[in-house]
Amino acid sequence: MLRWYPSAWRERYGEELVVLLEDQDQPPSLRVKLSLVRGGLRERLHESGLAGTQRPPDERARTGALLVLCAWTAFVLAGASFSKASEHFAQALPVSSRAAPRGAFDTVAALGLIGGTLVALGAIAAIPAFVQFVRAGGWSLIRRHVFRAIILSAVTACGVVPLSVWAHHLNELQRNGGDGLYSASFIAWALLVAGTLAQWTAAGVVAARRIDFTRRILRLEARLSVAVTGTMVVATAATALWWAAMAKGAPWFLHGTAMGTSPSPFSFQLSLTMALMLVAVLVAAYGVVRVARSWTGLILT
Amino acid sequence: MAKREPAGLRRPNDPPVLILTSLAGGPKHGHALAKDIEEFAGVSLGPGTLYGAITRLEERGLIEPLRTEDRRQPYRITASGSAALAGVVADMRQIAHVGASRLGLSLGRLA
Repeated sequence: MLRWYPSAWRERYGEELVVLLEDQDQPPSLRVKLSLVRGGLRERLHESGLAGTQRPPDERARTGALLVLCAWTAFVLAGASFSKASEHFAQALPVSSRAAPRGAFDTVAALGLIGGTLVALGAIAAIPAFVQFVRAGGWSLIRRHVFRAIILSAVTACGVVPLSVWAHHLNELQRNGGDGLYSASFIAWALLVAGTLAQWTAAGVVAARRIDFTRRILRLEARLSVAVTGTMVVATAATALWWAAMAKGAPWFLHGTAMGTSPSPFSFQLSLTMALMLVAVLVAAYGVVRVARSWTGLILT
Repeated sequence: MAKREPAGLRRPNDPPVLILTSLAGGPKHGHALAKDIEEFAGVSLGPGTLYGAITRLEERGLIEPLRTEDRRQPYRITASGSAALAGVVADMRQIAHVGASRLGLSLGRLA
């Protein structure tokens, strides 16, 4: 049961917690076990700087900004799913009904570009500190993560050409679920893309947690993380608007069926996409709260 | 009403407040703490909650560990912990006075 707790905590308090459990007259009940799980997870959050105010403001701001980065990665995947689900949507609508969904779609696209630019700016700002970190011997701490990301990227890239050539020989119906083998291959490749993005993000997080950033850079990263979160919030709202507009104007499009069929606005893929966006926004919002609560400490010194 | 303690203590039935109250009566280890709290407050703290609060209190310097006895780790309240607890007790007394006077009760009747 104590495995839920971080190793440093177990070293300090583990023995006395075991004795406390032994002092109970009976085996641990479900309530006791749940208490240990909650306690362990809470200590892990504290240790990582994701909870509590005991860590210095630099670390809390850094953790908050990195949370936003992780949320952004998830948001990019959701955006890719939205992009796939909305392919050729305008053709399903009469001209008079295209303005609202077109406006919402363009908003999502523009915010994706803005958010990506902000994330890139954050990465560029971190380069000098990263170079210093590598020169000081930090490469050995992150090389395993970077190599995994490179390998995944290579495997993913190798899949692009054959999949594209294959798609070129299929018609639209086959590309969108009509050909089971192609669909399965596309999903596998999409999972590889997701894994690659996640691994690069993990490598970035591992590095950023060890780099000694100046207060100036941390303040910049804090501001950028707030701005990125803002783009995610508005993009999520725009996606919801697009869905509502399509549900009203061409609900059959949401199911990939012929015009006039499937009046239900529910789409499993869009539901998953929206759910992922909302989770990403919540995680980013929590990161921004961590950043905001550390702001006074960041600017006072 | 006193401002929120910088030690981070909040409501009277918060686990940190209950632990400080228990330790104000003398050093105790985990099991003795849990039993004492259950007796005076009627609150049964799970081990995860108890040790989460002990960790935070020790980080803030409000309690400190004593020498281990037979694998059991007793804690005692520090001077900072006593001051923090005194602040919370003063807040609770204020609330009790206001509540009792509005109900037309004397504090001796509250039970």
